[in-house]
Amino acid sequence: MVDQAKLREVAREVISREDVRLLIGYRPGTYGFRARPAFVESAEQVEELVFTPACVSNLASYLVLEEKPPLPRGAEPDNRKVAVMVKGCDSRALVQQMVEKAYERDHLVVLGIPCSGVVDMARVEARFPGVLSAGSIIREGDDFVLSFDGKTEKVPAAELLADKCKRCRYPTPLVSDIMLDDEVERFAEDDFSDIAELEGKSVEEKWAYWAEKFSRCIRCYSCRNVCPMCYCEDCILDRLKPVWMRRSVDISENTAFHISRAYHLAGRCIQCGECARVCPVDIPLMELNRKFYKDVEELYDYEPGLSTEATPLLSTFSVEDREDFIL
Amino acid sequence: MAENTRETFEPNIVAFLCNWCSYAGADLAGTSRIHYPSNVKVVRVMCTGRVNPLFVMNALQQGADGVLVSGCHPGDCHYMQGNYYARRRFTLMRRFLEYLGVEPARVRMSWVSASEGSKWKEVVEEVVEGVKAVGPMDQFKRRQLNW
Repeated sequence: MVDQAKLREVAREVISREDVRLLIGYRPGTYGFRARPAFVESAEQVEELVFTPACVSNLASYLVLEEKPPLPRGAEPDNRKVAVMVKGCDSRALVQQMVEKAYERDHLVVLGIPCSGVVDMARVEARFPGVLSAGSIIREGDDFVLSFDGKTEKVPAAELLADKCKRCRYPTPLVSDIMLDDEVERFAEDDFSDIAELEGKSVEEKWAYWAEKFSRCIRCYSCRNVCPMCYCEDCILDRLKPVWMRRSVDISENTAFHISRAYHLAGRCIQCGECARVCPVDIPLMELNRKFYKDVEELYDYEPGLSTEATPLLSTFSVEDREDFIL
Repeated sequence: MAENTRETFEPNIVAFLCNWCSYAGADLAGTSRIHYPSNVKVVRVMCTGRVNPLFVMNALQQGADGVLVSGCHPGDCHYMQGNYYARRRFTLMRRFLEYLGVEPARVRMSWVSASEGSKWKEVVEEVVEGVKAVGPMDQFKRRQLNW
Protein backbone atom coordinates (compact mmCIF):
# COMPACT_ATOMS: atom_id res chain seq x y z
CA MET A 1 0.00 0.00 0.00
CA VAL A 2 1.42 3.34 -1.01
CA ASP A 3 2.15 5.78 1.78
CA GLN A 4 -0.21 8.69 1.12
CA ALA A 5 2.08 11.25 2.74
CA LYS A 6 4.98 10.14 0.57
CA LEU A 7 2.79 10.22 -2.51
CA ARG A 8 1.81 13.83 -1.83
CA GLU A 9 5.35 14.83 -1.03
CA VAL A 10 6.64 13.37 -4.30
CA ALA A 11 3.75 14.93 -6.20
CA ARG A 12 4.50 18.33 -4.65
CA GLU A 13 8.11 18.03 -5.67
CA VAL A 14 7.21 17.03 -9.21
CA ILE A 15 4.59 19.68 -9.84
CA SER A 16 6.88 22.35 -8.41
CA ARG A 17 9.44 21.58 -11.09
CA GLU A 18 9.58 24.18 -13.77
CA ASP A 19 9.40 21.74 -16.64
CA VAL A 20 6.18 20.08 -15.46
CA ARG A 21 2.89 21.62 -16.42
CA LEU A 22 0.35 19.12 -15.18
CA LEU A 23 0.14 16.15 -12.85
CA ILE A 24 -2.58 13.59 -13.37
CA GLY A 25 -3.43 11.54 -10.30
CA TYR A 26 -6.33 10.34 -8.21
CA ARG A 27 -8.42 12.21 -5.66
CA PRO A 28 -11.41 11.12 -3.59
CA GLY A 29 -14.73 11.29 -5.37
CA THR A 30 -17.59 13.45 -4.21
CA TYR A 31 -18.66 10.91 -1.62
CA GLY A 32 -17.73 7.49 -0.37
CA PHE A 33 -14.48 5.88 -1.30
CA ARG A 34 -14.78 6.18 -5.02
CA ALA A 35 -11.81 7.91 -6.56
CA ARG A 36 -11.72 10.15 -9.57
CA PRO A 37 -8.95 11.65 -11.66
CA ALA A 38 -7.27 14.76 -10.35
CA PHE A 39 -5.58 17.28 -12.61
CA VAL A 40 -3.04 19.07 -10.48
CA GLU A 41 -1.54 22.26 -11.81
CA SER A 42 -0.06 23.80 -8.69
CA ALA A 43 1.58 22.63 -5.47
CA GLU A 44 -1.44 23.69 -3.38
CA GLN A 45 -3.61 21.08 -5.02
CA VAL A 46 -1.49 18.06 -4.08
CA GLU A 47 -3.14 17.71 -0.67
CA GLU A 48 -6.15 16.09 -2.30
CA LEU A 49 -4.16 13.33 -4.00
CA VAL A 50 -4.68 9.75 -2.83
CA PHE A 51 -4.09 6.23 -3.92
CA THR A 52 -6.47 3.56 -2.65
CA PRO A 53 -7.69 0.23 -3.98
CA ALA A 54 -10.62 2.23 -5.36
CA CYS A 55 -8.42 4.03 -7.89
CA VAL A 56 -9.64 1.92 -10.75
CA SER A 57 -9.40 4.23 -13.73
CA ASN A 58 -6.54 4.22 -16.19
CA LEU A 59 -5.05 7.69 -16.33
CA ALA A 60 -3.04 6.96 -19.47
CA SER A 61 -6.17 7.79 -21.49
CA TYR A 62 -5.94 11.44 -20.51
CA LEU A 63 -2.48 11.82 -21.98
CA VAL A 64 -3.72 11.18 -25.49
CA LEU A 65 -7.17 12.66 -25.12
CA GLU A 66 -6.00 16.13 -24.23
CA GLU A 67 -7.27 18.54 -26.83
CA LYS A 68 -4.73 20.68 -28.60
CA PRO A 69 -6.64 23.66 -29.94
CA PRO A 70 -4.93 25.77 -32.59
CA LEU A 71 -2.73 28.42 -31.04
CA PRO A 72 -3.09 32.13 -31.66
CA ARG A 73 -0.58 33.40 -34.16
CA GLY A 74 2.83 33.84 -32.65
CA ALA A 75 2.03 31.87 -29.49
CA GLU A 76 4.45 29.16 -28.45
CA PRO A 77 3.02 25.73 -27.63
CA ASP A 78 3.37 24.65 -23.99
CA ASN A 79 5.87 21.84 -24.32
CA ARG A 80 6.39 21.24 -20.63
CA LYS A 81 6.07 17.71 -19.34
CA VAL A 82 3.03 15.96 -18.00
CA ALA A 83 3.36 13.85 -14.85
CA VAL A 84 1.09 10.87 -14.48
CA MET A 85 0.45 8.30 -11.77
CA VAL A 86 0.27 4.77 -13.13
CA LYS A 87 -0.42 1.32 -11.82
CA GLY A 88 1.22 -1.71 -13.43
CA CYS A 89 -1.48 -2.17 -16.06
CA ASP A 90 -1.65 1.54 -16.83
CA SER A 91 2.10 1.68 -17.35
CA ARG A 92 1.72 -0.77 -20.22
CA ALA A 93 -0.66 1.66 -21.88
CA LEU A 94 2.09 4.28 -21.69
CA VAL A 95 4.56 1.86 -23.24
CA GLN A 96 2.20 0.94 -26.04
CA GLN A 97 1.39 4.59 -26.73
CA MET A 98 5.11 5.28 -27.00
CA VAL A 99 5.56 2.28 -29.29
CA GLU A 100 2.99 3.93 -31.52
CA LYS A 101 4.83 7.24 -31.26
CA ALA A 102 1.92 9.03 -29.63
CA TYR A 103 4.50 11.12 -27.74
CA GLU A 104 8.12 10.96 -26.70
CA ARG A 105 9.37 9.44 -23.48
CA ASP A 106 10.68 12.79 -22.22
CA HIS A 107 7.21 14.26 -22.56
CA LEU A 108 6.34 12.35 -19.39
CA VAL A 109 7.22 12.14 -15.75
CA VAL A 110 5.92 8.77 -14.66
CA LEU A 111 5.06 8.18 -11.02
CA GLY A 112 4.89 4.41 -10.74
CA ILE A 113 2.63 2.79 -8.19
CA PRO A 114 3.31 -0.89 -7.59
CA CYS A 115 -0.23 -2.15 -7.19
CA SER A 116 -1.51 -5.26 -5.53
CA GLY A 117 -4.92 -4.97 -7.10
CA VAL A 118 -7.91 -2.66 -7.22
CA VAL A 119 -11.48 -3.50 -6.34
CA ASP A 120 -14.36 -4.20 -8.64
CA MET A 121 -16.92 -1.59 -7.59
CA ALA A 122 -19.82 -3.75 -8.73
CA ARG A 123 -18.65 -6.53 -6.41
CA VAL A 124 -18.30 -4.14 -3.47
CA GLU A 125 -21.76 -2.73 -4.09
CA ALA A 126 -23.25 -6.20 -4.37
CA ARG A 127 -21.71 -7.30 -1.12
CA PHE A 128 -22.30 -4.15 0.91
CA PRO A 129 -25.18 -2.23 -0.65
CA GLY A 130 -24.81 1.50 -0.14
CA VAL A 131 -21.21 1.34 0.98
CA LEU A 132 -19.98 3.10 -2.14
CA SER A 133 -21.58 6.35 -1.09
CA ALA A 134 -20.08 6.46 2.40
CA GLY A 135 -16.98 4.79 3.68
CA SER A 136 -13.36 4.11 3.02
CA ILE A 137 -11.28 1.21 1.83
CA ILE A 138 -7.68 0.25 2.38
CA ARG A 139 -5.56 -2.79 1.70
CA GLU A 140 -4.04 -4.68 4.63
CA GLY A 141 -1.97 -7.67 3.62
CA ASP A 142 -4.30 -10.09 1.92
CA ASP A 143 -7.48 -8.29 2.94
CA PHE A 144 -9.42 -5.23 2.00
CA VAL A 145 -10.59 -3.28 5.03
CA LEU A 146 -13.80 -1.37 4.50
CA SER A 147 -15.00 1.19 7.02
CA PHE A 148 -18.55 2.45 6.83
CA ASP A 149 -21.32 3.45 9.24
CA GLY A 150 -18.87 3.17 12.13
CA LYS A 151 -18.27 -0.50 11.30
CA THR A 152 -15.14 -2.13 9.96
CA GLU A 153 -15.29 -5.13 7.67
CA LYS A 154 -12.34 -7.25 6.67
CA VAL A 155 -12.78 -9.05 3.37
CA PRO A 156 -10.28 -11.41 1.71
CA ALA A 157 -8.85 -9.57 -1.29
CA ALA A 158 -9.78 -12.27 -3.79
CA GLU A 159 -13.48 -11.69 -3.17
CA LEU A 160 -13.46 -8.05 -4.24
CA LEU A 161 -10.55 -7.84 -6.68
CA ALA A 162 -11.32 -6.76 -10.21
CA ASP A 163 -11.05 -9.55 -12.77
CA LYS A 164 -8.11 -7.94 -14.50
CA CYS A 165 -6.15 -7.98 -11.24
CA LYS A 166 -6.78 -11.67 -10.71
CA ARG A 167 -4.78 -12.34 -13.85
CA CYS A 168 -2.36 -9.43 -13.65
CA ARG A 169 1.07 -10.32 -14.97
CA TYR A 170 2.73 -6.99 -14.35
CA PRO A 171 1.73 -5.46 -11.01
CA THR A 172 4.83 -3.25 -10.93
CA PRO A 173 4.94 -0.46 -13.52
CA LEU A 174 7.18 -1.33 -16.45
CA VAL A 175 8.14 2.26 -16.99
CA SER A 176 8.61 4.88 -14.30
CA ASP A 177 10.75 7.79 -13.26
CA ILE A 178 9.85 7.72 -9.60
CA MET A 179 8.61 4.54 -7.99
CA LEU A 180 6.36 5.37 -5.04
CA ASP A 181 6.64 2.04 -3.26
CA ASP A 182 8.52 -1.23 -3.19
CA GLU A 183 8.07 -3.52 -6.14
CA VAL A 184 5.23 -6.00 -5.95
CA GLU A 185 5.93 -9.61 -6.86
CA ARG A 186 3.79 -11.09 -9.58
CA PHE A 187 0.89 -12.64 -7.68
CA ALA A 188 -1.29 -14.00 -10.45
CA GLU A 189 -1.06 -15.94 -13.66
CA ASP A 190 -3.09 -15.63 -16.81
CA ASP A 191 -4.08 -18.90 -18.44
CA PHE A 192 -7.03 -17.57 -20.51
CA SER A 193 -9.35 -20.04 -18.83
CA ASP A 194 -12.09 -17.40 -18.90
CA ILE A 195 -12.40 -17.48 -22.68
CA ALA A 196 -11.46 -21.12 -23.18
CA GLU A 197 -14.96 -22.27 -22.29
CA LEU A 198 -16.58 -20.16 -24.99
CA GLU A 199 -13.91 -21.12 -27.50
CA GLY A 200 -14.80 -24.76 -27.05
CA LYS A 201 -18.45 -24.27 -27.94
CA SER A 202 -20.03 -24.72 -31.36
CA VAL A 203 -20.42 -21.77 -33.72
CA GLU A 204 -24.18 -21.68 -33.12
CA GLU A 205 -23.69 -21.46 -29.37
CA LYS A 206 -21.03 -18.81 -29.76
CA TRP A 207 -23.22 -16.69 -31.97
CA ALA A 208 -26.20 -17.12 -29.65
CA TYR A 209 -23.99 -15.90 -26.80
CA TRP A 210 -22.66 -12.88 -28.66
CA ALA A 211 -25.95 -11.98 -30.34
CA GLU A 212 -27.49 -11.58 -26.92
CA LYS A 213 -24.57 -9.42 -25.72
CA PHE A 214 -24.33 -7.28 -28.83
CA SER A 215 -28.06 -6.69 -29.03
CA ARG A 216 -27.81 -4.92 -25.66
CA CYS A 217 -25.30 -2.40 -26.98
CA ILE A 218 -26.65 1.14 -27.06
CA ARG A 219 -23.66 2.45 -29.04
CA CYS A 220 -22.69 5.02 -26.44
CA TYR A 221 -19.03 4.51 -27.43
CA SER A 222 -17.93 4.73 -23.80
CA CYS A 223 -15.65 1.77 -24.40
CA ARG A 224 -13.87 3.67 -27.12
CA ASN A 225 -13.75 6.93 -25.21
CA VAL A 226 -12.21 5.43 -22.10
CA CYS A 227 -9.71 3.24 -23.91
CA PRO A 228 -6.09 4.43 -23.66
CA MET A 229 -5.35 2.89 -27.04
CA CYS A 230 -8.32 4.43 -28.88
CA TYR A 231 -6.96 7.84 -29.62
CA CYS A 232 -7.19 8.27 -33.40
CA GLU A 233 -8.20 11.82 -34.14
CA ASP A 234 -10.27 10.53 -37.03
CA CYS A 235 -12.06 7.45 -35.73
CA ILE A 236 -13.80 5.23 -38.27
CA LEU A 237 -16.89 5.28 -36.09
CA ASP A 238 -17.26 9.02 -36.59
CA ARG A 239 -16.17 9.09 -40.18
CA LEU A 240 -18.90 9.85 -42.70
CA LYS A 241 -16.98 8.96 -45.81
CA PRO A 242 -16.99 6.02 -46.09
CA VAL A 243 -19.64 4.97 -43.59
CA TRP A 244 -18.11 1.79 -42.23
CA MET A 245 -21.14 1.04 -40.16
CA ARG A 246 -24.44 2.77 -39.83
CA ARG A 247 -25.39 4.63 -36.69
CA SER A 248 -28.56 2.62 -36.19
CA VAL A 249 -28.69 0.33 -33.20
CA ASP A 250 -29.41 -3.14 -34.49
CA ILE A 251 -27.70 -6.45 -34.29
CA SER A 252 -25.90 -6.13 -37.60
CA GLU A 253 -24.46 -2.66 -37.00
CA ASN A 254 -23.72 -3.42 -33.37
CA THR A 255 -21.77 -6.52 -34.37
CA ALA A 256 -19.90 -4.55 -36.98
CA PHE A 257 -19.04 -1.96 -34.36
CA HIS A 258 -17.76 -4.54 -31.92
CA ILE A 259 -15.73 -6.31 -34.57
CA SER A 260 -14.08 -3.07 -35.63
CA ARG A 261 -13.44 -1.91 -32.12
CA ALA A 262 -11.89 -5.19 -31.09
CA TYR A 263 -9.92 -5.61 -34.29
CA HIS A 264 -8.41 -2.18 -33.96
CA LEU A 265 -7.07 -3.28 -30.61
CA ALA A 266 -5.54 -6.51 -31.94
CA GLY A 267 -1.97 -6.65 -30.71
CA ARG A 268 -2.44 -3.31 -28.93
CA CYS A 269 -4.83 -3.97 -26.06
CA ILE A 270 -2.93 -3.97 -22.79
CA GLN A 271 -5.66 -5.59 -20.70
CA CYS A 272 -6.50 -2.69 -18.41
CA GLY A 273 -10.15 -3.68 -18.55
CA GLU A 274 -11.48 -0.14 -18.72
CA CYS A 275 -13.89 -0.85 -21.59
CA ALA A 276 -15.70 -3.58 -19.73
CA ARG A 277 -15.72 -1.52 -16.55
CA VAL A 278 -17.45 1.49 -18.09
CA CYS A 279 -19.91 -0.45 -20.25
CA PRO A 280 -23.37 0.60 -19.05
CA VAL A 281 -24.99 -2.59 -20.33
CA ASP A 282 -22.30 -4.99 -19.11
CA ILE A 283 -21.09 -6.38 -22.41
CA PRO A 284 -18.04 -8.52 -21.65
CA LEU A 285 -15.77 -6.51 -23.95
CA MET A 286 -12.64 -7.92 -22.41
CA GLU A 287 -13.58 -11.35 -23.71
CA LEU A 288 -13.27 -9.92 -27.22
CA ASN A 289 -9.98 -8.21 -26.51
CA ARG A 290 -8.60 -11.23 -24.72
CA LYS A 291 -9.31 -13.47 -27.69
CA PHE A 292 -6.98 -11.31 -29.74
CA TYR A 293 -4.51 -11.11 -26.89
CA LYS A 294 -4.44 -14.88 -26.64
CA ASP A 295 -4.15 -15.44 -30.39
CA VAL A 296 -1.41 -12.88 -30.73
CA GLU A 297 0.56 -14.46 -27.92
CA GLU A 298 0.02 -17.94 -29.28
CA LEU A 299 0.74 -17.22 -32.94
CA TYR A 300 3.29 -14.46 -32.83
CA ASP A 301 4.70 -14.71 -29.31
CA TYR A 302 3.94 -11.04 -28.90
CA GLU A 303 2.66 -9.19 -25.89
CA PRO A 304 1.84 -5.52 -26.37
CA GLY A 305 2.99 -2.85 -23.97
CA LEU A 306 6.14 -4.44 -22.61
CA SER A 307 8.95 -2.58 -24.30
CA THR A 308 9.16 0.77 -26.01
CA GLU A 309 11.59 -0.79 -28.47
CA ALA A 310 8.94 -3.14 -29.86
CA THR A 311 7.36 -2.75 -33.31
CA PRO A 312 3.57 -2.67 -33.52
CA LEU A 313 2.38 -6.19 -34.25
CA LEU A 314 0.49 -5.58 -37.47
CA SER A 315 3.10 -3.31 -39.02
CA THR A 316 5.62 -6.08 -39.00
CA PHE A 317 5.67 -9.71 -40.10
CA SER A 318 7.77 -12.80 -40.06
CA VAL A 319 8.33 -14.99 -43.09
CA GLU A 320 7.68 -17.95 -40.80
CA ASP A 321 4.19 -16.83 -39.74
CA ARG A 322 1.72 -19.68 -39.64
CA GLU A 323 -0.50 -20.08 -42.67
CA ASP A 324 -2.20 -23.40 -42.10
CA PHE A 325 -5.60 -22.13 -43.21
CA ILE A 326 -4.41 -20.69 -46.50
CA LEU A 327 -5.28 -22.65 -49.61
CA MET B 1 -35.99 -13.61 -54.65
CA ALA B 2 -36.69 -17.29 -54.34
CA GLU B 3 -36.27 -18.81 -50.90
CA ASN B 4 -32.88 -20.37 -50.46
CA THR B 5 -32.99 -23.93 -49.30
CA ARG B 6 -29.94 -25.97 -48.50
CA GLU B 7 -30.26 -27.83 -51.79
CA THR B 8 -30.74 -24.89 -54.12
CA PHE B 9 -28.53 -22.50 -52.19
CA GLU B 10 -26.08 -20.69 -54.44
CA PRO B 11 -23.71 -18.69 -52.26
CA ASN B 12 -22.50 -15.21 -52.94
CA ILE B 13 -18.76 -15.08 -52.53
CA VAL B 14 -16.74 -11.92 -52.70
CA ALA B 15 -13.17 -12.48 -53.82
CA PHE B 16 -10.51 -9.84 -53.31
CA LEU B 17 -7.81 -10.65 -55.83
CA CYS B 18 -4.47 -8.99 -56.11
CA ASN B 19 -3.80 -7.39 -59.45
CA TRP B 20 -0.49 -9.10 -60.11
CA CYS B 21 -1.04 -12.76 -59.32
CA SER B 22 -4.52 -13.97 -58.44
CA TYR B 23 -6.39 -11.69 -60.80
CA ALA B 24 -4.10 -12.76 -63.62
CA GLY B 25 -4.50 -16.38 -62.48
CA ALA B 26 -8.27 -16.09 -62.63
CA ASP B 27 -7.92 -14.42 -66.00
CA LEU B 28 -5.78 -17.31 -67.19
CA ALA B 29 -8.43 -19.76 -66.00
CA GLY B 30 -10.88 -17.82 -68.14
CA THR B 31 -8.76 -17.66 -71.25
CA SER B 32 -7.88 -21.35 -70.88
CA ARG B 33 -11.63 -22.06 -70.79
CA ILE B 34 -11.46 -23.74 -67.41
CA HIS B 35 -14.93 -24.04 -65.91
CA TYR B 36 -15.29 -22.95 -62.32
CA PRO B 37 -18.31 -22.02 -60.18
CA SER B 38 -19.76 -18.65 -61.01
CA ASN B 39 -20.47 -17.77 -57.39
CA VAL B 40 -17.42 -15.60 -56.95
CA LYS B 41 -17.71 -11.87 -57.48
CA VAL B 42 -14.23 -10.58 -58.04
CA VAL B 43 -12.95 -7.29 -56.66
CA ARG B 44 -9.55 -6.41 -58.01
CA VAL B 45 -7.18 -4.73 -55.63
CA MET B 46 -3.56 -3.85 -56.20
CA CYS B 47 -2.30 -6.07 -53.40
CA THR B 48 -3.73 -8.23 -50.62
CA GLY B 49 -2.06 -5.77 -48.30
CA ARG B 50 -4.66 -3.29 -49.52
CA VAL B 51 -7.50 -5.39 -48.18
CA ASN B 52 -8.65 -4.00 -44.88
CA PRO B 53 -9.86 -6.83 -42.63
CA LEU B 54 -12.98 -4.76 -42.11
CA PHE B 55 -13.79 -5.36 -45.79
CA VAL B 56 -14.53 -8.93 -44.76
CA MET B 57 -16.88 -7.75 -42.08
CA ASN B 58 -18.59 -5.32 -44.45
CA ALA B 59 -18.98 -7.92 -47.18
CA LEU B 60 -20.56 -10.40 -44.78
CA GLN B 61 -22.80 -7.64 -43.51
CA GLN B 62 -23.96 -6.63 -46.95
CA GLY B 63 -24.99 -10.00 -48.24
CA ALA B 64 -21.91 -12.07 -49.00
CA ASP B 65 -22.02 -15.62 -47.72
CA GLY B 66 -18.29 -15.98 -47.92
CA VAL B 67 -15.16 -13.97 -48.57
CA LEU B 68 -12.00 -15.06 -50.31
CA VAL B 69 -8.80 -13.08 -50.23
CA SER B 70 -6.23 -14.24 -52.72
CA GLY B 71 -2.78 -12.97 -53.53
CA CYS B 72 0.72 -13.86 -54.62
CA HIS B 73 2.64 -16.65 -52.99
CA PRO B 74 4.81 -15.53 -50.07
CA GLY B 75 7.98 -14.06 -51.47
CA ASP B 76 6.42 -13.26 -54.84
CA CYS B 77 4.53 -10.13 -53.85
CA HIS B 78 4.84 -7.39 -56.43
CA TYR B 79 5.32 -5.00 -53.53
CA MET B 80 7.75 -7.37 -51.78
CA GLN B 81 5.85 -7.87 -48.51
CA GLY B 82 2.18 -6.90 -48.85
CA ASN B 83 0.95 -10.45 -48.65
CA TYR B 84 2.92 -11.10 -45.45
CA TYR B 85 1.07 -8.29 -43.71
CA ALA B 86 -2.21 -9.56 -45.10
CA ARG B 87 -1.46 -13.03 -43.79
CA ARG B 88 -1.17 -11.75 -40.22
CA ARG B 89 -4.27 -9.64 -40.46
CA PHE B 90 -6.50 -12.34 -41.86
CA THR B 91 -5.22 -15.03 -39.55
CA LEU B 92 -6.36 -12.90 -36.63
CA MET B 93 -9.62 -11.83 -38.28
CA ARG B 94 -10.58 -15.36 -39.17
CA ARG B 95 -9.94 -16.69 -35.69
CA PHE B 96 -11.84 -13.77 -34.20
CA LEU B 97 -14.87 -14.25 -36.43
CA GLU B 98 -14.88 -17.91 -35.53
CA TYR B 99 -14.89 -16.90 -31.87
CA LEU B 100 -17.94 -14.73 -32.50
CA GLY B 101 -19.77 -17.58 -34.18
CA VAL B 102 -19.10 -17.06 -37.87
CA GLU B 103 -18.13 -20.33 -39.50
CA PRO B 104 -14.44 -20.26 -40.51
CA ALA B 105 -15.42 -21.65 -43.93
CA ARG B 106 -16.77 -18.21 -44.79
CA VAL B 107 -13.45 -16.45 -44.54
CA ARG B 108 -10.80 -17.99 -46.75
CA MET B 109 -7.46 -16.96 -48.07
CA SER B 110 -5.35 -18.45 -50.82
CA TRP B 111 -2.15 -17.94 -52.75
CA VAL B 112 -2.70 -18.21 -56.49
CA SER B 113 -0.01 -17.09 -58.89
CA ALA B 114 -0.53 -15.75 -62.41
CA SER B 115 0.26 -19.13 -63.94
CA GLU B 116 -2.04 -21.17 -61.74
CA GLY B 117 -5.32 -21.07 -63.65
CA SER B 118 -6.11 -24.61 -62.63
CA LYS B 119 -5.31 -23.95 -58.99
CA TRP B 120 -7.74 -21.02 -59.10
CA LYS B 121 -10.45 -23.41 -60.19
CA GLU B 122 -9.67 -25.78 -57.32
CA VAL B 123 -9.62 -22.93 -54.82
CA VAL B 124 -12.98 -21.60 -55.97
CA GLU B 125 -14.50 -25.05 -55.95
CA GLU B 126 -13.33 -25.69 -52.43
CA VAL B 127 -14.50 -22.31 -51.15
CA VAL B 128 -17.92 -22.64 -52.77
CA GLU B 129 -18.31 -26.14 -51.42
CA GLY B 130 -17.33 -24.99 -47.94
CA VAL B 131 -19.81 -22.14 -47.96
CA LYS B 132 -22.57 -24.32 -49.38
CA ALA B 133 -22.01 -26.72 -46.52
CA VAL B 134 -22.54 -24.03 -43.88
CA GLY B 135 -25.49 -22.41 -45.62
CA PRO B 136 -26.51 -18.77 -46.04
CA MET B 137 -24.87 -16.15 -43.86
CA ASP B 138 -27.44 -15.03 -41.35
CA GLN B 139 -25.48 -14.03 -38.27
CA PHE B 140 -25.05 -10.32 -38.73
CA LYS B 141 -26.26 -9.75 -42.24
CA ARG B 142 -27.83 -6.35 -42.71
CA ARG B 143 -31.59 -6.73 -42.90
CA GLN B 144 -33.64 -4.70 -45.31
CA LEU B 145 -35.34 -1.97 -43.36
CA ASN B 146 -38.97 -1.36 -44.22
CA TRP B 147 -39.88 2.02 -42.92
